Amino acid sequence: MKLAYYPGCTLHGTAREYDASTKAVCKAAGIELTEIDDWNCCGALEAIFDKELSMGLSARNNFKAQKTGLDLVIPCSICSHNLSRADKAMKTDSAFRAKIEKALGEKYTGVNIKHLLDVVVNDLGTETLATKFTKSLNGIKAVPYYGCLLIRPSEVCKFDNPENPTSLDDIIKATGAECLPFTQKTKCCGGNLLMSKQDYAFILTKKLFDEAKAAGANCIVVACPMCHMLLDGQQGMIEKAHNTKIDMPVLYFTQLIGLAMGLGEKELELDKNMVSTSKLIALIGKEKPAPNKVEAKIATAVEAEAAQ
Amino acid sequence: MIKSSDLDPDFKYEISKEPGGENIKKCFNCTGCTVGCPVTEIDKTYNPRMILRKAILGMRKEVLSDESLWLCASCYICYERCPQDVKITEVIGAIRAIAQREAKAGKIKLDNPKPLFDHLFIDSVKKNGKWYEAGVSGTFMLMTKGIGGALGYAPMGFELWKKGKLSILPHTIKGKGEIKRIFEEVEK
Repeated sequence: MKLAYYPGCTLHGTAREYDASTKAVCKAAGIELTEIDDWNCCGALEAIFDKELSMGLSARNNFKAQKTGLDLVIPCSICSHNLSRADKAMKTDSAFRAKIEKALGEKYTGVNIKHLLDVVVNDLGTETLATKFTKSLNGIKAVPYYGCLLIRPSEVCKFDNPENPTSLDDIIKATGAECLPFTQKTKCCGGNLLMSKQDYAFILTKKLFDEAKAAGANCIVVACPMCHMLLDGQQGMIEKAHNTKIDMPVLYFTQLIGLAMGLGEKELELDKNMVSTSKLIALIGKEKPAPNKVEAKIATAVEAEAAQ
Repeated sequence: MIKSSDLDPDFKYEISKEPGGENIKKCFNCTGCTVGCPVTEIDKTYNPRMILRKAILGMRKEVLSDESLWLCASCYICYERCPQDVKITEVIGAIRAIAQREAKAGKIKLDNPKPLFDHLFIDSVKKNGKWYEAGVSGTFMLMTKGIGGALGYAPMGFELWKKGKLSILPHTIKGKGEIKRIFEEVEK
């Protein structure tokens, strides 16, 4: 599979481990990524309320992707939302399209934009992905956290259920890690309030930690650099503000997949996460794998028959 | 007490002309937006249904100068669940755009620092093509929290820098002229 790749600003900065693990996992899974040339910022959450500017900035990247003739994959939920929304507007809103085509002096034909999670779960498929796994991640008890723009609004991102998504659940299960039920999976981390209303952002993120701990998780798995910024990057600040100890590693789903593929910790940049991942990694394989439900049933039936 | 003489019946049309505000008149005030809102959950004074209701009634000045206009976290839960397809997140954006223009013209005062951060962020994208994290965050902290407050973030900035996650200098692109032209076209 060949895809054009838009990393977005965070993957070349605070989310560098997401970029590294994305590249490592895609390489191992046979997905060839070509980074689009001279891409720009999509406007992120800061332009999201200025609809035309947000879509205009994003559209320039779509023009760049169009030149490759490939589908475009994006690991960041915010970039993915913005570029998809821009593509939709370029196809349906002729006045907007005219403005951007004038600004860039080119004609737009459209590009197929997908979030990386969509590509992994639906185009590659968890079963194919699992054939690349070399070890079971039993010992990891994870809750999947989807947040907002990865799955909403469903008119923009259509690949999963907006109220009860399961893509990350499926990946966690495939790696042999335990996937725990998480009532907060689609709740807001407060990312967009981090700079302007930090106390609210921290309360929102703290609620996610409380629920993850109550579920018995030893790790949270995410697919968005903004979610990761709040849950991992700000965890120390939240501990200070709420006078508590959280100590919860937060992995990108690509880091989790990479571990199951047997890729190196350096390659997955597990040392770049702000909350140490070493205790979590030491747990891998220390627990007996939970027996497969069907196998367990057969074993019980066989035992019962033998006893008769 | 609401006096009908203070209402601006054209406010809803003004909003519906802003990009994103088109569907405001579809709202039938069912409160679905508010019951699912994660911000309302922690602050009962934030009530998106009330913002929409007031806007439709024409309470222009009250809506535009209300601090709670800046509390939406753009999580799109209300947008997803709205039975009338009001596109609430985008309507809030349209109202914010009007509020920012009014503030620029000196007609209202905005106390929330959100517009300042967004402005600094967008300005850095306009200049470089990519957002300049260290510069924008540093300037914002200095402007809103003073030197003491900004220094409080220095240890975290240093940790990020040590891990190679924060660049001191801005990243720039070659196509800055194209970015400039996009700004010119959408701001027309």
